[in-house]
Amino acid sequence: MEMRDVTYNKNDYVETASGNKVSKQTVLCGSQNIVLQGRVIVQPEAIIRGDLANVKTGRYCIISKEAVIRPPYKKFSKGVAFFPLTMGDNVYVGEKSIINAAVVGSYVYIGKNCVIGRRCILKDCCIIEDNTILAPETVVPPFTRYSGNPGVQIGQAPECQMDFMVDFTRSYYQHFVPAKLI
Amino acid sequence: MAYIIEQEVVKYVCTCGLLKPISKLYFCRYCLEVRCGFCVCHEVDSHFCEKCLENMPSAEARLKKNRCGNCLICPSCLLHLSVRAATVGPKNPEDPKATPRKVVYLHCLMCRWSSRDVGIPDQIAATGGWPERENVYNVRLSEIIEWYKSVVLLEKQQKLEKDKKKQRKYMSFTDKTGLTAEMIRKRIGLTEPPNPLLKTKAKPLEGAIAKEDVEELPDNIFTQPIKLNEITTVQQRLLQPEWQPVTVDKLFPIHKHLSVKQSLRCRSCEHNVSKPEFNPNSVRFKIQLFAYYHIPEIRIVTVEPLRAGQPAELLLKFINPTQHQTVVTILDLSSMPELIQDDKCSADTSTDDELKPIEKEPLSLSLTQSASLLHTTLSRQPSFTIKPRQTKQQVGADIEIPAANFVLPPRDDAAEFDDSGENYNFNDDPRLVKWRKSNKAVIKLQITPSTDLNLGDQVVVGFVMQHIYTNTIATSVEKDKEPQKCQHKIRVFLSLGNLLGSSE
Repeated sequence: MEMRDVTYNKNDYVETASGNKVSKQTVLCGSQNIVLQGRVIVQPEAIIRGDLANVKTGRYCIISKEAVIRPPYKKFSKGVAFFPLTMGDNVYVGEKSIINAAVVGSYVYIGKNCVIGRRCILKDCCIIEDNTILAPETVVPPFTRYSGNPGVQIGQAPECQMDFMVDFTRSYYQHFVPAKLI
Repeated sequence: MAYIIEQEVVKYVCTCGLLKPISKLYFCRYCLEVRCGFCVCHEVDSHFCEKCLENMPSAEARLKKNRCGNCLICPSCLLHLSVRAATVGPKNPEDPKATPRKVVYLHCLMCRWSSRDVGIPDQIAATGGWPERENVYNVRLSEIIEWYKSVVLLEKQQKLEKDKKKQRKYMSFTDKTGLTAEMIRKRIGLTEPPNPLLKTKAKPLEGAIAKEDVEELPDNIFTQPIKLNEITTVQQRLLQPEWQPVTVDKLFPIHKHLSVKQSLRCRSCEHNVSKPEFNPNSVRFKIQLFAYYHIPEIRIVTVEPLRAGQPAELLLKFINPTQHQTVVTILDLSSMPELIQDDKCSADTSTDDELKPIEKEPLSLSLTQSASLLHTTLSRQPSFTIKPRQTKQQVGADIEIPAANFVLPPRDDAAEFDDSGENYNFNDDPRLVKWRKSNKAVIKLQITPSTDLNLGDQVVVGFVMQHIYTNTIATSVEKDKEPQKCQHKIRVFLSLGNLLGSSE
């Protein structure tokens, strides 16, 4: 199906010079540690915890409503340490998903209501279906489709997943337009 | 966006007759036919472990029974085990100067199973070295395998001698007995070193002996209550077929199975349609003849409510993925008869003669070629073509076939950044083409759901999309040659949604 336009109120969003569109209703903790590479959409009530560690996203990432991006921690004998979270280009994070991964590759699709356990590694071109709970420290190899609780591989992503995600995130950005005032 | 998680509403008919979304189709540009995962030849390219993402040579993979040497999975919940560090008291607690030791153990972060539960001793180093369990029947099993191998070899030898006189056209090769190399040597005229397995006559195997008296069941088996928490599930038992533990205290970590990268090969011309890069981390391809890059993609934009017998408007978006301009014509389904192989791809009159040799490119290798080349062709699976099958798709609506065709300009990656007003002079029929931008066009079709359908039935329409495919293989070989153009036809079925009741 062809994507429809999604409109937003221009007053509710901040648009940066590099084309990031960040809702004013988000919780961005430690914003000096958050890097959005450009053309990233962060929707209302999303939480990005930059105060724990650095968070870096690539271009054309979409962080949906009420998603939580939270750097992972590791317990050591002397306490806990947080690790930076990096996200590649053209990543979609669905609504109400919690991302605790160490690395999210490029062209990754994460559905809604997912929990990505701490220090997971999501390689490029993988698909996490809706309502998946990934156990901590899971490695998701390229071109796989994970689903369920606990998340296990249930299939394969198409070989042209990269082009699909590029096309999807770009057209999402293009269809995310300010509402026209009447 | 339909391909990532949503239902597939637009399906193309593969040459083999199966309905597939465009994401699962390939386009062999040598045969100029659409292929799908079902009608191509799958070949294993490389083995790798999904956890540590390291490649393993196929010989080593076979030796290790297709399992990773380092990564272990939880015997209880089948997820990855992680190594956890802990400190334990010093070796001799009396000595006040002794420092606590660091040890590691395996731990499942999902179900909390740990190697300490079953009494596997902690390790000092984190890098592997976990105790391996020997199968008690190992000797017996290897004896049986040896015996079986020698029997197979003997039978093959006898068979070979029997029909030595008549030259066979095809040979079947099995790698297991080492016959492949022997055959090649014979074909290229080398002398044959005697097979070591044949020389030493395998000693005859002792057959399994049935036991007369079986152990009696313990008395308390009927009285003792069963503790389900301590009994393993069938899945857990079958994961370790050598031991098949009955109770959870006998669950031991299992080496992770390897995954493969596979390349796909067209069965009729033996060209690769998909070949991934060697590195398991890589998502690039050396050869990628996906239909998504060659055949116009169709997306449903909108469809009016579907009511039986009433015409509805259907807007479809066509996207040209190629670097060449194409002309799309929509034809009736009857214009592409099923199961006829001959004229699926009728070339333009001008290029008709040039196209023919490419369509049937012979790939059989002559025996004069080098032995290494011969080896690769022989070790490959014998290719057999899959017969096309009848497509069982019921069509529930009539479609008004537009008389006009429309042009799709080539894909231009820079067009996205081009803000200048685009004006096209394509002489579009305004009744057909509603909108266009760079390589995309939206067209309007009129459909009428059939009156035979019941309320709530899925309405499916089908048509044949004919597009001009510009073949660039010839130009890459001979620079001065014009790219060949041919008309390619493909059947498309669209699921438009359910039939609604009549408007009141």
